[in-house]
Amino acid sequence: MSALKNKNCNYISNKEIKITFDGRSYSAYEGDTIASALLRNNIRLIGRSFKYHRPRGIYTCGIEEPNALVQILNEHNEPNTRATIKRAYEGINICSQNRWPSLSFDIGSINNILSPIFSAGFYYKTFMGPKGFWKKIYEPLIRRTAGLGKPPKNFRSKSIHQNHNVDILIVGGGLSGLLAARKLIDTDKQVLLVEQDSFLGGILNNSNKVKKIDGKNTFEWIQETEKLILKSNNIKILKNTLVTTYNFTNHLIALEDKFSGKKIDINKSELTLHKIRTTHTILANGHIERFISFRNNDLPGVMLASSFEKYIERYGVVPDEKPAIFTNNSSTISLVKSLINLNCKPCAYIDSRKKEDIEDETKEYLIKNNIPFYPESEVEGCEGNKKVEKVFIRNNSNKISSINSSMLCPSGGFNPDIHLFTQSKGLVKWDEKINSFKPDTAFQNTITLGSVSGNYEFKNLCEEINKKLSFLKVKDLNPEIETNIRDDFSIEELWETKTDKTSKWAKSFIDLHNDVTTKDLKQAINEGYDRIEHLKRYTTNSMGTDQGKISSINSLGIVSKILNKKISEVGTTTYRPPYAPLSFAAIAGRSTYEYYDPERKTPIHNWHIKNNAVFEDVGQWKRPWYFKKHETETMHQAVQRESKQTRRSAGILDGSTLGKIEIKGKDALEFMNLMYTNAFTKMKPMTSRYALMLGEDGMIMDDGIICKINDKHFIATTTSGGAPKVFAHMEEFLQTEWPHLQVYLNSITEQFTTFNISGPRTREIMRKVFTDIDFNNEKFPFMTFKTFNYKNTEARIMRASFTGELGYEIYISPQYALELWELIFKHGKDFDLVPYGTETMHLLRAEKGYVVIGQETDGTVTPIDINFNWMIGKKKKDFIGKRSLTRSDTVRDDRKQLVGIIPLNKSQFIEEGQHVVECENLPNKIKTPVEYLGHISSSYHSPNLNHCISMAMVKGGNKLMGKKLFVSTPKGTKNIPVEIVNPVFIDPENKRLTS
Amino acid sequence: MTKLLSADGVDITQKNFQQILIRGDGKDQFNQVVNKEISLQPPSKNLELKTNDKCIFAKNSFDQWTLVYLVEQDYKEILKIISNLNLNDEILASDYSYGQVYFEVLGKNKNEFLNKLTQFDLRDKKFPDFSMAQTLIARIDCYIYKLNEKYIITCNKSYEDYFKKRLIDLINL
Repeated sequence: MSALKNKNCNYISNKEIKITFDGRSYSAYEGDTIASALLRNNIRLIGRSFKYHRPRGIYTCGIEEPNALVQILNEHNEPNTRATIKRAYEGINICSQNRWPSLSFDIGSINNILSPIFSAGFYYKTFMGPKGFWKKIYEPLIRRTAGLGKPPKNFRSKSIHQNHNVDILIVGGGLSGLLAARKLIDTDKQVLLVEQDSFLGGILNNSNKVKKIDGKNTFEWIQETEKLILKSNNIKILKNTLVTTYNFTNHLIALEDKFSGKKIDINKSELTLHKIRTTHTILANGHIERFISFRNNDLPGVMLASSFEKYIERYGVVPDEKPAIFTNNSSTISLVKSLINLNCKPCAYIDSRKKEDIEDETKEYLIKNNIPFYPESEVEGCEGNKKVEKVFIRNNSNKISSINSSMLCPSGGFNPDIHLFTQSKGLVKWDEKINSFKPDTAFQNTITLGSVSGNYEFKNLCEEINKKLSFLKVKDLNPEIETNIRDDFSIEELWETKTDKTSKWAKSFIDLHNDVTTKDLKQAINEGYDRIEHLKRYTTNSMGTDQGKISSINSLGIVSKILNKKISEVGTTTYRPPYAPLSFAAIAGRSTYEYYDPERKTPIHNWHIKNNAVFEDVGQWKRPWYFKKHETETMHQAVQRESKQTRRSAGILDGSTLGKIEIKGKDALEFMNLMYTNAFTKMKPMTSRYALMLGEDGMIMDDGIICKINDKHFIATTTSGGAPKVFAHMEEFLQTEWPHLQVYLNSITEQFTTFNISGPRTREIMRKVFTDIDFNNEKFPFMTFKTFNYKNTEARIMRASFTGELGYEIYISPQYALELWELIFKHGKDFDLVPYGTETMHLLRAEKGYVVIGQETDGTVTPIDINFNWMIGKKKKDFIGKRSLTRSDTVRDDRKQLVGIIPLNKSQFIEEGQHVVECENLPNKIKTPVEYLGHISSSYHSPNLNHCISMAMVKGGNKLMGKKLFVSTPKGTKNIPVEIVNPVFIDPENKRLTS
Repeated sequence: MTKLLSADGVDITQKNFQQILIRGDGKDQFNQVVNKEISLQPPSKNLELKTNDKCIFAKNSFDQWTLVYLVEQDYKEILKIISNLNLNDEILASDYSYGQVYFEVLGKNKNEFLNKLTQFDLRDKKFPDFSMAQTLIARIDCYIYKLNEKYIITCNKSYEDYFKKRLIDLINL
């Protein structure tokens, strides 16, 4: 650790830690970032650039860093981590990126020599030929070389989300943010103060600019302020938290690194995504220094001046004892003073401004400390082998001289950090005085304070804060801020210096992250891309993950000069969220893996588990798909067994997931007649009816069984997945279309567990279980229901079936569900009762020709298409969808209609989703479309018929009965010959059903 | 009653409450019928709740009320109340006792904890005592009732396992 340590730094502990970079171990201090730790060890070369693989070092000291991106090997191999913000800890293992075989010798740097090929928009011009090269050469090559780091491995995040509702959010815990917070202490406003660093203070920690506040040194003042805030009841501080997104309605997103400076505990959440809803947002997020483009302005050793000062003041590391400083503004004197305070001295101070424009105080200080001073001069470029060694200075007589220096600190001025402000849709304007864009008109309740609002002068700060927060009616604060530098900011416009190109290697960069040069900008404009948004995309300027934080305004400056326009006329590109990269893990939070989607279970779920059920997801429900009799039984075997047993004796299904809606009111009958196609007027009380619900387009929306208790009271069942939609549909019509109807609805899906028992021996089982009920066919005919008392609860049994067999549906309170289910099994044992799952349910209903909404129908099917004309109440005045059923398109004869299909060769199996066609073979190469007649909607091997049965929607299907057609197969061109038949395969006379 | 978790200033207990969901027009006749059955006047303001030592009575929306029994009642009695209410054509009462699960949430950090699962603004000034809301918690539809120092949260029983797992998962992270 030979780089000097600033012993006056209050933010770094003396505790030494060991870190590893590219396999070598280094010492650092607790509190260091990776960047400060590496600088402390004189490591300048950190990585290789994106396109040209040029050597790159640490350019900044914060979130704006475009160069120093590293891979953290011990954190799930996390790539593209900014070394300037990631805090080091004992044992952190870091690796450089985008180089092979090593950082110092990278084969990829050949791209730099080939750079003429990679000029602006090269990807629009290259890779066009020869034919076949794309798939075999270009794509594999690009895939291999694209990107910087390597993707994470074996990563299972435990990120969480935290919602906040506050009155005021303060973004930034620097001087402006802290002054605003102090004003709000112990007020009735609930305030959240968010700071990206692990310390409050911002510029007070990062520079030497402020000497004292209210007579206290800055460290003491920060500590006092933090204590006051923590003591208050109304302000909460979030540190290590970066606000990344500013959405509409004052909704902001911030990301907290909960293991900043610590090794991640894999059992804890490493990130918290804060979702903040606030009434007012105070943006006090400061400014970002920008660079100046010159020849080789990307060499390791070039570091922004204020970042250099931040390393000294905030991290206690002096990256170099004798840096050269290159500026176009008044702020850099602060860095000079910081260095002199540590007995270091810049080797040159190069100021592009005219001598008379440079502050007297600066000139005197430089002379007094004997610092070589180059007024009205600029850096022409720098050179060196993987680091700065020589700096070339052009004076006002256009003469170039060189000096030896290992670091060069440019400062091109400051950009108010307007990123979040513009995300909030606030408008910005160009300010000639600070030579940058600053906030103008807020779109939301947004207040900008301090340098983000373009106010770089401390003397005006309190006045600004008091004025802008006066609407909150809180007391004014007027602390005395004593500074170490002259407070009035001055700057001269300078975006790029004149370059005397000396080699092909030499480049002047405008975007370090994406390797965009100033030459690329000029070339793009020459090629016609003179609109800033087009130019951005053509060159990829400011499209890197740093979003051009230190360079985007510079590119506007250069473009404005080429186009001979004002910058305000050129305009800005759009700032988009997030402000800094957010991991998908943070966005997803806990909605991953076992919590990806909420799960619903029926009251007898555990019984299913105990009995080897294999589950399938039906919406959010976990439904038994089939029950494995033994470990080696396949799904096909289980389903065939369950189906046969149900038709032979009896089977039972957990149908609790079916939607259930209670409908009551004096107009309930009229409502039901309007909602469903069926007529309910003549329906007798205590009977039930299979019913269809249509959309206004006449297409089938849902189906179910309606139980009529009386004309004023109904219970409707819906499909499992359709329950919420049907309930909402009914409510919507009640509240918007028919508010005159006096009808109320309650969803009672969860209030009744449902068992569907069916099979020829069902009646015998039911008689054993419910001894008080007469199950005789005459007393309890098909499509009737009875209510009865079961352990002091009201239960309901309905005679209905979805299998085509004699069947009953039992509705019981969930508290007695398991008990009753087990009782049924106890008695059912003697009758060979089998539990069956949804797959068997589908097979059995297909044998009987019953449709499933969503399987046979797809939102384009009318009742007529599936031969459900009989379900339409012909004499009804109206129902939803009625008008649509008489449209010319819905009455066409050649609409797709429901048919049954069986293979001519009974040993063949037809797959669901396959096409019904007229041709026996498909051509090897399809040159003209093959006429499509329809598709297979359901297909099963029927154990009861011992061959495949299918249902299909086929054009004009009703007229095709008995016709021979073909069905495609997933593989091969030979189609399966089939016959179109009636879709009811078993018991078309309903003898079993009504027995 | 099952203690689910107690840590970091949050205590959550699963309760065996019972519930009736009532719909009606909220006019005089409705109030009289309901008052006769349960001796408690239905709240008239949306999202307001009334309580006594055995139940809370909340108005969920312009035509919907929930009656949650905090002290276990004879289930026969609840069914009888439902039956009596349903004698009136202009009222629909449904038994929600065993198709729902109930959680009591206490502790000084209860708001912060619940705000890991819901964006709902739980601050006193936005969600005062004796009010209720229907909102998403852990991405499922829940009712939340605020009573002095505690919340009562109910959701469909089918989500019980998922909801409990989410609560326990968060306290451990």
